[in-house]
Amino acid sequence: MTEFLQAMAQGLLIGSTYGLLALGMGLVYGVSGVVNFSHGDFISLGMFLCLALYSALALDPYVSLIVTVPVMTIAGGLVYWYLIRPMVGHQFLMVVQLTLGLSLVLQNGILMVFGGQPARTPSVVESKLWILGDVVVRVPHVIAFVISFAMAIGLYIMLRSTDFGRSIRAVHQNAHAAALMGVDVGRVQTLTFALGIGILAIAAALLLPGTPIQPSQGLRYTVITLIVVALGGMTNFVGIMLGGLIIGLSEAYGTIYLSDTMGMLLPYGIFVLIMLFRPQGLTWSSAR
Amino acid sequence: MLEIDHLVTGYNGVPVLHDVSIKLAAGEIVGLLGANNAGKTTLINSLSGMYAPISGRILFEGRDVTALTPRQRVELGIVQVPEGRLVFPEMSVRENLLLGGINSRARTHRSRQMDVVLDLFPRLRERLPQNAGTLSGGEQQMLAIGRALMAEAKLLMLDEPSLGLSPLFVQYIFEIIDRLHATGLSILLIEQNLNLTLRHAQRCYVLERGKIAVEGASDVIKDDPRTRRAYLGL
Repeated sequence: MTEFLQAMAQGLLIGSTYGLLALGMGLVYGVSGVVNFSHGDFISLGMFLCLALYSALALDPYVSLIVTVPVMTIAGGLVYWYLIRPMVGHQFLMVVQLTLGLSLVLQNGILMVFGGQPARTPSVVESKLWILGDVVVRVPHVIAFVISFAMAIGLYIMLRSTDFGRSIRAVHQNAHAAALMGVDVGRVQTLTFALGIGILAIAAALLLPGTPIQPSQGLRYTVITLIVVALGGMTNFVGIMLGGLIIGLSEAYGTIYLSDTMGMLLPYGIFVLIMLFRPQGLTWSSAR
Repeated sequence: MLEIDHLVTGYNGVPVLHDVSIKLAAGEIVGLLGANNAGKTTLINSLSGMYAPISGRILFEGRDVTALTPRQRVELGIVQVPEGRLVFPEMSVRENLLLGGINSRARTHRSRQMDVVLDLFPRLRERLPQNAGTLSGGEQQMLAIGRALMAEAKLLMLDEPSLGLSPLFVQYIFEIIDRLHATGLSILLIEQNLNLTLRHAQRCYVLERGKIAVEGASDVIKDDPRTRRAYLGL
């Protein structure tokens, strides 16, 4: 029973961050129809930037956010404006190929700079634990959970009640009509992509404490994010957060109750099962 | 107010509109008639800046706007009510209206303008928190017009406002158009409904396969045999 609760706590805490990762991808998909296969490598980039800042200035990953968030947001904006935007509206597969290429460039760029050895970035809270009855939770996981949900709620409010949020939703619902109302569609798409990458900088710092990182990890995060987005119904806010929790939980239970390899497979198995029965995603209520 | 000067527009270099010239004076209501595929929607979308013309110019209030983006044109007051209404279905009526007034010129006094729009369409006031996708066709048309008014249109361009509406709603929408005209708004009315347009517009142009076939005052055009011929595509 303790094991069960332990896994549940860990799954929910980490799953919230998976949800946050996927919200960024879902927003981008919603406004520009782009599925970014370099998503996970941008997370990697965020993590290695934290490592670099630790090595150079001994900054804690949480403090590094002051630097990584603006840097990654701007990088995201530039990537969309100069690389992806010219391709949008052409072949869908060309955009896929472009982002896959970008993934390789990022991965090997990181490899060139940091080498292939697994690395760790220490944080002051890294080894702190909270003991709640029989369950032990790691403080970094709690921080990840709180910040991820705060960010998700913040994004939701932004989409509902600011002009920028409303223009994101308008472009998603009908880009032509949005343009006729004077919304600059290209600008909204670029800013949304930048926002999505900026969110990854935060998620990277949340996942970092206690996790060894290596340049080739990006694809794993991309796949997790894709699964969560698909589970959530691509653009459904609540669904995506729920999808994140489900994948987090199945990962945690898989590692505890099944052998190593089988455990790794569990999230994918659950994903396939859910998609068989609810191909439209988990939820009905739409929060577009 | 609006002057379209020898406009040639098309897709991928293939012209759809050939040498179209149209004038609209301030405060005037001008009809643009034509059968399906005559190029009416292409024309209104070129006025909104959705495509770059192959040649020709568009002047608005004496200023050449041919090279301006859709957003810049909305900011000048060239606003379209698109065919099929295209309201944002999963946004509330209120949000649709706020979005209509998102351009930099209109944004600062949106709440005042919203009162004006809601006084014009009391029905929308009752529906404010409701999602636009749940409205009836007629209500969506009111919302689409209201949204364009939120942008503080100086030139209101309506693309087939009667499309798919019940006769009662068509009548209501045309009464609204008359009322807007009476406030001094310039209106370009694109319609398939020949008689209705001739009744409400002061002057009309008839578009036939991308060319202006007939133009003139509505009561003159009405009796011109070329009108019906162009219209029926004979």
